[in-house]
Formats: sequence, C-alpha cells, structure tokens
Amino acid sequence: MLDFARVQKELVECSKDAEGSGIKVSPKSDNLVLLIGTIPGPVGTPYEGGIFQIDITLPDGYPFEPPKMQFKTKVCLFSSDHCLSELVAVMVWIFVWHPNISSQSGAICLDILKDQWSPALTLKTALLSVQALLSAPQPDDPQDAVVAQQYLKDYQTFVNTARYWTESFAKESTRGIEDKVQKLVEMGFPEAQVRSVLEAVGGDENLALERLL
Amino acid sequence: MEDYATSDDDFHYSSDQEDSVDAYENDDQDYALLSSKGPTTQVITKESLLAAQREDLRRVMDMLSVKEQHARTLLIFHRWDVEKLFAVYVDKGISFLFAEAGVSVDEHRESDSVASAVMCLICMEDVPSNELTRMDCGHGFCNSCWIEHFIVKINEGQSKRIRCMAHKCNSICDEAVVRTLLSRQHPDMAEKYERFLLESYIEDNKRVKWCPSTPHCGNAIRVDEDELCEVECSCGVQFCFKCLSEAHSPCSCLMWELWAKKCRDESETVNWITVHTKPCPKCHKPVEKNGGCNLVSCICGQAFCWLCGGATGREHTWSSIAGHSCGRYKEQEKTAERAKRDLYRYMHYHNRYKAHTDSFKIESKLKETIQGKVAISEEKDSTLRDYSWVNNGLSRLFRSRRVLSYSYAFAFYMFGDELFKDEMTEAQREIKQNLFEDQQQQLEANVEKLSKILEEPFETFSDDKVMEIRMQIINLSTVIDKLCQKMYECIENDLLGSLHHGIHSIAPYKSKGIERASELSVCWGNNVNDTEMLLSEKDYCIYAASVGVTAELDRPSGSGSSDDSGCSSRKRARKEGLGGGFFDLNLPAEFVDRN
Repeated sequence: MLDFARVQKELVECSKDAEGSGIKVSPKSDNLVLLIGTIPGPVGTPYEGGIFQIDITLPDGYPFEPPKMQFKTKVCLFSSDHCLSELVAVMVWIFVWHPNISSQSGAICLDILKDQWSPALTLKTALLSVQALLSAPQPDDPQDAVVAQQYLKDYQTFVNTARYWTESFAKESTRGIEDKVQKLVEMGFPEAQVRSVLEAVGGDENLALERLL
Repeated sequence: MEDYATSDDDFHYSSDQEDSVDAYENDDQDYALLSSKGPTTQVITKESLLAAQREDLRRVMDMLSVKEQHARTLLIFHRWDVEKLFAVYVDKGISFLFAEAGVSVDEHRESDSVASAVMCLICMEDVPSNELTRMDCGHGFCNSCWIEHFIVKINEGQSKRIRCMAHKCNSICDEAVVRTLLSRQHPDMAEKYERFLLESYIEDNKRVKWCPSTPHCGNAIRVDEDELCEVECSCGVQFCFKCLSEAHSPCSCLMWELWAKKCRDESETVNWITVHTKPCPKCHKPVEKNGGCNLVSCICGQAFCWLCGGATGREHTWSSIAGHSCGRYKEQEKTAERAKRDLYRYMHYHNRYKAHTDSFKIESKLKETIQGKVAISEEKDSTLRDYSWVNNGLSRLFRSRRVLSYSYAFAFYMFGDELFKDEMTEAQREIKQNLFEDQQQQLEANVEKLSKILEEPFETFSDDKVMEIRMQIINLSTVIDKLCQKMYECIENDLLGSLHHGIHSIAPYKSKGIERASELSVCWGNNVNDTEMLLSEKDYCIYAASVGVTAELDRPSGSGSSDDSGCSSRKRARKEGLGGGFFDLNLPAEFVDRN
C-alpha cells in the first residue's frame, strides 16, 4: 500500500527548495494519491517562460512502483452566455509540443517512469528528469511520431510550434490571480467564494472551477 | 526398387538365416551411427530440473570461481548458454562479463555498527542498523523496504532479475538475501521466487523447451546439439523441437503450419461451394447446376441466370433467356477455373496424405492379428523361435507410412505457387517434381508391398515358406529405410537446399524413428522400463487421436526395453522373442507389451 509517510516527507522536502528549483508538488486531493507537479520550462529552449503542470497519480505500490505522470491537459468548455449548463463543446488541449510527449494525451515517454524506475528516486527527481527531457528531446524514441518527424526534418518549424504552444497555453497559468478571480466572477460565482477556493487549490483555475461547480 | 534389393542380395540370400539377420541388424546399426551419436535429447522432469540447472551452474562456478548466485545471474543473462558466456569471458574479460550481467562481487559490507540508527533513503525513516541490509553492490536500505521491493518485482515476473533499489545501480540482488528476507514474513513469495529461478532454466534457455503435451506432463526437453530435430518426451508426446507441433518431417515447420491450417480450415469447402454453386437470388440457398442450359431454377421456384446469378423469367432458349442479357461470362469463368484447379490440386495431395494416415490407422489394427499369428507360430513345433522380424517389419511400415503421408504435404507446398513461386522456373520445377515423385513412388510401392506381405497368414505356412516371408520382410524393410533416407537427402540437398531464400529446413531422418529423450541421468534409478512402457502407450493414444479414433488401451504390464540402452538390450529383446524389440518407437503399446 501507499507509503503516506514518505509522500508527506517528500512534499515537505520539495517545498523547502521550491524557490531554487522552481519545482513544486502539491496534493490535488486529501488522500495524497493525486498530486500536481509544476515545472518551469528550461531556459534556452522553446519552453522557456512556460509553467508546465503535470498530473501525478501515485500507485498503491509507490515508491516501489513508479508514479504515473502526464502533462496536464486543459479542458476548455465553450459555453454560450457563460451559462455552464448549456455546454456546446468540450475540447482537450495539452500545453507542450515535444517528441517524447504525446500531443494528444500528454503521456510522457521517459525510462525512469517505466522500467528504469528505482524506489530511491523521488517525485522531485522524477520531475527534474521530465524537465531535463524538455531540454534534451530524444526523437529516436518518440511518443509522438508527428512531432518527432518534424523535429528531425524541419527543426525550425518544430521550435516555432513548440514556442507558440508554450506562449499560448503554458503561460496562461502564470496569469495574475486577479485575472483568474475576474474570469470566475464573470462566470457568475460570488467573488469571496472564488478567492477562498482559488487560494485553497493553489491558484489553479480549473481546479477552482471544479470545486465551485 | 529392384536396384536396392539386388544390391543387398549377397547379404540376405546367401549363407544361413542367422547370418542374414545379423547382416540386417548391422546395417541398421550403421544407420543409427549415421543419424545420431547416441541420445542427444534429455527429459527434464520436475525432479531433475534442479540437477540439470546445477550442472550448468557448476561449470560456470568452477570456471570463474564465483558463488552460485552469481553464476546463476550470469547464466540467466546469457540465456543459459554456457559456451556463449565463456566466449564473452575470453573476449572481453571478467569485469565486463560481470558488469554486463549486473554482478558485483566486491565486498562492500563495511560494518554499520558505528551508527546505531541509519536513515533508509526509501522510506526516509531512521532505522536501527541491524534492520538495514546491504547488497553486494554496497547499497543498503531497510529490510521492510527491501521486502516490499522484492514482492513488487516478483509479482511483476522479474524474479530472475531483481535489481538493487538504488537509482542506476545495475546490480542483481543477492539470492540468499532475497531468500532470507522473504522467508520470514512471506513464505509464499519466497516459494514463488524459488520456482521462478528454477524455471528460468527452461524459459530462458534456447536448448530447453517445455513438452507441448496437454494436459502438461510437467516435463521439459533438452537437446544437446541441433535444435532442428524431432523428439519424444517421456510422456509419449512426439513433437518437432523447433515449432513444438507434432513431428512432421519431411515437411518444414512453415509448410506444416500452413498445411495443418489448410486441413483444419473449412476454406476448401467454401471454395468448392463458390466454384460449383450460386446463391439463389430469392432464398439465398446455394444452388448447384446439375446440367442443362444457363437458366437454373431453384428448389424455391425462382428462376435465375447461372452466368450472372440474376433473377430471370422462365422463357428461354438454349442460348438466351427472354428479357435478360449479361456479359460477364468470360471473366467469371476464369476465376472459377482457377479456383477449381487449386481445389483439385489440394484434393490430390490431401487425398494421398489422408490415405496414408488412414492406412496407418487400419494397419495399427494389424497388431492384434499379428500377435495372434506369432503366438500360434511360437506354439508350433518348429525350429523357428525368433519372430522379432515381424515386429520390426511392422514398425518399419508404420514409420514409412508416416514419412509418406507428410511427404505429400511437403510436395503440395514445394511444387505449388504459394511458397516458392519465384524460386524456380517452370522447367526447373518440373525436373524437381519428377525427381521427387519418382522417389516417392518407389517408396510408396515398397511400402504397399510390405503391407501386403505382413498380412499373409504366415502362421499356417510351412517353415520354408515362413523363412521366405521373413526374408522378404527383412529385405523390404531395408529397402524402405534406404528409400526414406534418400528421400530426406533429396529434399534437403536438391529441393530445399537450392532455394535462394531458404528458410526451410527439415529434421534429419532417423532410421529408428523419432528419438526418445532419455531421462536425465539423475533419474536413472527410477524404473526406466515403466516410463518407457507408458510412453509407447501414450504414443498410440496420440496417434489414434490424431487420426480420429478412440484409443482403448490396456494398462501396460510387461517390460519394454529402452531404445537407447544399446546392444545389450537389443540382444535381450531378441532372445525374448517379441518382448519389445529395438524398433518399438512407433509401435502401439500392445506390441511392446507382450512379454
């Protein structure tokens, strides 16, 4: 079964030097099974400036089994007149354009998350490896064949696309808290409630929306 | 055929009878030497698995002077190929060998007694140093973390390669440590671990395969030399070691796979229906045209055009139907012709394949008759005491029937379009086909002759007449054996050998039938005879099942003689009369059964 004591310690450990590494891990739920990791895009890459969120699911066997990680996808709800009961369309977007990350699902192709996992690794070291993967794509072992082809054949277009995706999506989450509050209030939720919920979920707009609903 | 018979004349028709028998047996022995140098296959039972594994472990331990667990790790990494392991050792040195397989022999176990409590980097708890275990690689973690790790890995099926928990440490965990840690709290997991380690010898070893019997007999077979061979497990199942299906030489594995599938499939029936019938446009039942013009009327009363299958009226002449015209005549006829030709070709080969399998079935019934005849003969006040030649002839007959039936499946693919269309020109194919068919026909003719002679009521004959029959049977057996041998050689060298994309190879011909795997030496004490008995009994069952009859067998009671125990048993067999000759490989149990 899941070793809660260790996960707790990891979270504490991680928050200690969150400033230095920029890597954060926060629980999404109370049971410590679902977590959200945050990594800054590495400097000098098309991902620079982006803040990438990663959904983490801890299996029962953690840390003896690897954590499941995938880039967070964004569900956009297109509704008419901000009325959430009349949903028109649902779209799934993912924020990162990378040969080893599926542009459809956000699944990450990284050996330490599969057979090379070692119980001595932690969530933080795993996230660091993911960050390293952003700096050093491995197009020969691709998760997303389309992106990998582009990377190999038309590098410039790849860089442009990756940068565009970073600009459009990953930076969104860095928007000021006021913007988020305003957006949620516009949807028709009371401001005080919006603020407290946003704070509770660590500023995650989607999560806040889920709670508010 | 005449050639062979005459060339052997001086052996068989000269001097007295005893001599000629010896000549025949010597002949046989030569073949045995040619085709196999003693038993090259061994049965590994549950009991002997450990011994078999030990054998290889011992070699590596002695050679490299390492502990058993390290030898095992090395061997598992090299898939139990000792030769390959030694080759790597010679080429690249011992440190490479160890590093590659994840063996650390350096003792890193410094004393931990200095600190009373150490932090385990996995659970991040402080643990007393006596609850911390270090592996050979030097990495130490607390016992409960190790146990947790082992359980996860064993459940993942990774028993054979449980790596150290440290990141990027390629070391394989010390077997003894795994054992001790697990056995305390999780004896079931420890047992599972042991079993996996043991079975790795079979699963990871290219020279060893599980016997394909169902229900599984629990045995595995190890071959010493060529993996391309046919073997008989001690449970009686005969199989091709390469593809694990029934023994099928002189068919190649691929051919047999295709053939078996073709025979199983209903596709040929479907084919026949498409060639010979058309669905009624009204009731959709297949309609066969039994003559007449192209206006066909179905049993349901609907009239339709045989050429296009469309519904029509009934007004017609011989050449046209009123108010109906269709122009697809030529095209349809062509495809139908082709399908028809393929079907006939398949039927030709399949009928012959089946015919030999069927006569095998009928001839198996000969056993009782023959035994009766032999019994009567033995009762007679005669100078002849030895009737082993009857059994020898019979087993030769069975064996050659088998070769013949599979040879038709072989020919179907060898000279068909399916596999080798681009390999041969029409002319080449014709030459090869003639060559092969000549041999096949010679063999077939002799086999039928032998079959006929074996049915003679020799028990009523005079001694002279019996001697004559005996001579004929012995001669024919020798001839047939040689013809089989020649046919295999022809297939191997002239037919398959000349292919450019030759992926086809066949198991070599064994004059004495499919080799029965010997028990691994560790089990020699165990009633070998009983095993052998059981074995031929099952063989019959399996054969019977394959030709679609229900086998009813008596429990074996007599003593058989093992085929590989060499000359002494052979002599004994002869002295005992019919007590299980050395030719008993394909015999139903009852033959060997008789004491």
